[in-house]
Amino acid sequence: MFRTLLAAAALLALPAWAADVKALLKEADSYRLIDQSSRVDTEVRVFKRGKLDKTRLYAVYVKPGRRSLVVFRSPSERGQKMLMLGDDFWLVMPASQRPLRITPMQKLLGDASTGDVASMTWAEDYDGRVEGEVLVDGVPCLKLDITGQRKGVSYPRIVLYLAKSDRRPVQAELYVASDKLAKEAAFKIGVVDGRRLVTEMTLVDRLQQDRRTEVHYLARSRKALSDEYYNPAFLVRADLDN
Amino acid sequence: MSRTALLAGAALSLATSGALAEDALLDLSYKTRFVGEDRHLRDDSVFGPGLPLTSFGRDRARLEGEARGKAGPISLLVTARQSAREGERAEGELVANEAYSNFGAGANRYTAGKKILSGDVGFGFRPIDVLQREQRLQALPPALEGIPHLAWEHYSADSAWTLVWANPTHERRDEPRDDGSFALRHYSRWDKTDLHGVARISSRYKLETGAATSTVAHESLELHSSFLVQRRDERRAPLAEPAATADLLAPDRALRTVTLDNPRKLLLGGTWTVESGWSLLAEAWYDGTAPTAEDWRTLAQQTERRRALIGTPGVPDAAVNGAIAASTRLFEAQNLTRRSALGRLAWTDPAAGGWSASLDWLHSLEDGGWAATAAVGWEADRLRLDAGLRRYGGKPDSAYRLLPERGLLYFGASLAF
Repeated sequence: MFRTLLAAAALLALPAWAADVKALLKEADSYRLIDQSSRVDTEVRVFKRGKLDKTRLYAVYVKPGRRSLVVFRSPSERGQKMLMLGDDFWLVMPASQRPLRITPMQKLLGDASTGDVASMTWAEDYDGRVEGEVLVDGVPCLKLDITGQRKGVSYPRIVLYLAKSDRRPVQAELYVASDKLAKEAAFKIGVVDGRRLVTEMTLVDRLQQDRRTEVHYLARSRKALSDEYYNPAFLVRADLDN
Repeated sequence: MSRTALLAGAALSLATSGALAEDALLDLSYKTRFVGEDRHLRDDSVFGPGLPLTSFGRDRARLEGEARGKAGPISLLVTARQSAREGERAEGELVANEAYSNFGAGANRYTAGKKILSGDVGFGFRPIDVLQREQRLQALPPALEGIPHLAWEHYSADSAWTLVWANPTHERRDEPRDDGSFALRHYSRWDKTDLHGVARISSRYKLETGAATSTVAHESLELHSSFLVQRRDERRAPLAEPAATADLLAPDRALRTVTLDNPRKLLLGGTWTVESGWSLLAEAWYDGTAPTAEDWRTLAQQTERRRALIGTPGVPDAAVNGAIAASTRLFEAQNLTRRSALGRLAWTDPAAGGWSASLDWLHSLEDGGWAATAAVGWEADRLRLDAGLRRYGGKPDSAYRLLPERGLLYFGASLAF
């Protein structure tokens, strides 16, 4: 009885943010997406040993319900599309023009950056706890340890640092299934149309040496595609190819 | 080509305000590709005397320029190709692989023009690919050429119906893919399973109906199956025995056409993929329209009989050679034997270094023949390089052992810009 009372007292003593990680994640998400249904144009630059190795362009259409449609826009990948509906994935290659169901493992072995650009929210996919407060590059941050609530997430565990003042994402440590640290992410905030948003995410690879990826968010717009666009059979249509 | 232009024109005029506002006037990406093949003849081929009249064993190369994208509401894939084959003059061609428009809004959508219409879930064989009829397991094939068609499509969140009028002004043509036909395709998603269904009607095959499934059974395992039954089919076969000498010497009668009632095609397969980048694909299939082991034995025997006529007074060698060459068209079958199994071990660099490799083993369960392919690829920002080696072999009377080529080496390079 005494122990229970002690635990209850300890809970009451915690700051308010400790009780609602989901709310914190939603606030952090608002720096990445301007609306739950959006189009985000992204440029990914992959650097090896400090030199630019490849550049990829994507248009990503996200919609609530863990729906994400990635249209590949680089010349070498033109015509390719990937659809993610929760934990289910489909790919269309331009050569055959047929939707192909792929496993989560096949998705992981595809271009890793696809997962990084397609997953634009944490609140829908993760939950966890606040570990405490730390300074990151001089910024007082809340340290969150969050885990994926479904199998299909690219990173089953993330240690996320949100600025204590405004909950903007500052840094993240991204872990793969074996709980190895795969990447460290740093977020750059800019003002876009009068709103503070993440304009760049830099991913430093911790599994491969000398590899760094910059994800530049070129444009964001409110765009609610109708449900048929998220039907795998619809992927062979060219309505979104521009 | 003129029909394609006609359909594209119709598509343009039909394009409605349903087209998205993002449509730019001209938005094209370009790719240039070189493919070279070094083909090796089998020195002891029974078809030897006729092979100079065929393309077997001739090295070949092609250089392609490809434009893909949109011009207003028209989606385009256009290829300019210069191809050369050993001993022949180089040829150039411009192909509109695709020229179509998607239009409509909401649940009802439409397509008009020439578009690739692949279907099915398999890798080595696709029984319900009844519209595109893609030849599988080719080494670095050129881009597919679409089918001129009009289509009505109806979508919900989890299912789709498509009614296709393919090759609208055609009756029966030389190739089945060019025949006029109507097809109804269905797609639905049930949790972790995709279900595809098709029914197609044409004058050549009458009614073809089939279904295919693809299931993600585990985060690493995908399982698939496909089944087709046709009201009728036609296939090439050697002359019926006993074959008259006059028939054996007539190139236009070197093979006969056999009509089949209710042939069936079935495929079962799966892919296992692991985090280290390795994947194993295994498939087995039955194709009731493919030549039988007995067909290949008969063809080999008839070819020996033709060869025995060389030098016979009153029998021109050219006639013998022509008949032997014409009989090799039996190798144009989509599957060389009825029962086959395919194993494919592939690796993709999980560190995204751009490297990939694969080893394919296609085995005929009917006659013991095989085709083995080892390939390697490397991809950078805009450049892709591919190289591979294919060999054919098996028991003496097996289709792959009878194939006039021992194998081929191939190389491809493509640059996108």
